Amino acid sequence: MTDLTEVSQLLNKASEDPVLRTALDRAIASYWKKRKQVMERYPYVKELADEVRKIKEWSIDHMDELLGQAMDSVERRGGSAYVAKTAEDARRIVDELVGTGKIITKAKSMTTEELKLREFLIERGNEVYETDLGEFLVQFLGPKPMHFISPSIHLTREKVAEFLREFLGVEVDKDDIEGMVAQVRRFLRDKYFNADVGISGANVFAADRGAVFLIENESNIRLSISLPPKYIAVVGMEKIVPTMGDAWKVVEVISRYGGYKVTSYVNTVMGPAKVGKGDIGPEEYHVIFLDNGRREASKDPILKQTLYCLRCGACQYLCPVFGIVGGYWAGLNSAYSGGIGVMWEYITGDKETATQHAFACLLCGRCMEACPMRINQPEVLREIRRRFMAEI
Amino acid sequence: MDLKAVKLLIERNAKKSWNPLGVKEGYCSSWAEGMSFPEKGETLLYTGCLYQMIPYIDMFARLLKGFENMNPALFSIAMKINELADSLGLDTISLLASIEISKRDRERYFNIVRNIANALTSAGVKFAYMKEEPYNGVLYHDLGMDDLFEAHVKRLARKIKETGAKRVITVDPHTTYMLNYLIKEFVEDFDVEVVHYMDVLLEKGYEPELIGPKEVVIHDPCYLARWNDLIDQPRTLLTRAGAKVREPEFSRKFTGCCGGPIESLFPSLSSKLAEKRMKELKESGSPCLTVMCPICLTNFQREADKLGVRVFDIMEVIK
Ligand code: SF4
Repeated sequence: MTDLTEVSQLLNKASEDPVLRTALDRAIASYWKKRKQVMERYPYVKELADEVRKIKEWSIDHMDELLGQAMDSVERRGGSAYVAKTAEDARRIVDELVGTGKIITKAKSMTTEELKLREFLIERGNEVYETDLGEFLVQFLGPKPMHFISPSIHLTREKVAEFLREFLGVEVDKDDIEGMVAQVRRFLRDKYFNADVGISGANVFAADRGAVFLIENESNIRLSISLPPKYIAVVGMEKIVPTMGDAWKVVEVISRYGGYKVTSYVNTVMGPAKVGKGDIGPEEYHVIFLDNGRREASKDPILKQTLYCLRCGACQYLCPVFGIVGGYWAGLNSAYSGGIGVMWEYITGDKETATQHAFACLLCGRCMEACPMRINQPEVLREIRRRFMAEI
Repeated sequence: MDLKAVKLLIERNAKKSWNPLGVKEGYCSSWAEGMSFPEKGETLLYTGCLYQMIPYIDMFARLLKGFENMNPALFSIAMKINELADSLGLDTISLLASIEISKRDRERYFNIVRNIANALTSAGVKFAYMKEEPYNGVLYHDLGMDDLFEAHVKRLARKIKETGAKRVITVDPHTTYMLNYLIKEFVEDFDVEVVHYMDVLLEKGYEPELIGPKEVVIHDPCYLARWNDLIDQPRTLLTRAGAKVREPEFSRKFTGCCGGPIESLFPSLSSKLAEKRMKELKESGSPCLTVMCPICLTNFQREADKLGVRVFDIMEVIK
């Protein structure tokens, strides 16, 4: 465990991969350009981010209280709420709700990646489709979602076109991204109508109304959570904020720092459909609140700031190390990527791997400059090192 | 790389000579030979040793690059040899160094420090220096070796106090940050004022003279710009001397790292990062990269020939 050879070989190999480098260079250049435009057009967003930081600080300090409220709100509106202490608990709850032999459409969600939920459901004899284009590509091309917002950041459009040609058996043009999205959408269309269950994560969750918020650009989330009769949301406990008003602020900060001038859709779900059973909207609304290390981290004075993370992806785009190794940093077994990914992995996953990867951080602090929550990743990563070095 | 082995090596060197590389304490002050500064005074010039240690850092990095993919067993044999040499009274690092480090290399980095001292003197600043100047301890902190860091900075604080200094002038961003922030977590009564030499020069209205290229591209060192908020200072000094300063795409608070901080544990990645950042800088239109940090300087210097650029410390561009 003190031997970093495997980690350095993994990262070195990634840094030498020309396709990965091209893909990252393009994505980062495009993000940086968009970010500058967004900051110019919405200068108030910095202040809004400060406000959200306060909301998050309060919420993490009152996690249990908010959880209670959130669960009450869900139940009051006719939904069912669950607490999953571990990843295994969460999978078991989902398993009981889904069963086997079902068709499932999924919205892109890092929290379900943390649970390796897709793999689990497939193993249990279900047919599962990721409906976000990037995540759909990752499902079939692997190796993992490499970025919070842009899971297929490691794939060039050339690679994607090549895959779609083969997988869908249609002609696609590598320079026509819209066209490629349309092809995947066509493929997924009847999956939505035949699906038994829709599963999503949440960008933020409002405790007062029991509302899940989901941001998207492709309208796939809208379809995958409202057409199937059963809807399950997996919500990390750190996502809960007190009110709808707070949640809207979080939504705006996530999209702006994610580099969006406009995000096409923001979905909110507050309960099962009430009219015309089965016509539109799910008849069942299940919300699973996931702990998996979060509660413990919320009591740790240094690790705690990880839970303020909105998963906007800004720090990943702007991290120098991420810029040359992408999501290989934090390891291929982790759902998470980059310095913040190492922190999330440390809290929710494999502490040993996370610790080894923590040593690859430059402590340069560009992530903190990029981050709307001004999370001090160098401080947390150094602390992870410290805890380890004191032991060996 | 094996963390246990790295930890042992560093601890042994620290025990032997109060720095992670095993460089003899006192070596760092030899830049001042032939100059005369008092050893006590209200103002102290504390260099933190990083510039002077560049040739050693460089050698260490090259050494470790060889170890990067070496299995831990072999590494521990290498350590044994080092230990044996030690027990025979041979100082392996300085032995290697004396073969490897050319006088020219050493002089280059000593000159940067001398240039800073001279500029301060010309600006009318009187200061003392430490004859056995200790290293700044930052690597221990970076690696999370807090016990070692604590012992190190407690001793350092005591030594600074002994000079009678109320004000310490620093020359690199890492030492500046360490004295301004990190040391305070471990040493309660560290109440001296810490200022970077560029601030002192500006405060004195110093007019530097151009001795390097007329046009340069500026690279903001991460710790200077982001962690110490020293951004306009180097620009002002360069412009005052008449240099034209080009800005790269990523600059100021969004500057890109040189890769230096992981040169010991991930040397290959570190070079790749340097290369990428240097290309970014070169794209600004000037092949003369100007930095204000010994770590950036050495990490860039290693890749400079390959990329067809020249790397300068700001105190090689102005005086
Ligand atoms: S750490 Fe900050 S910048 Fe990075 S994903 Fe989280 S909120 Fe966004």
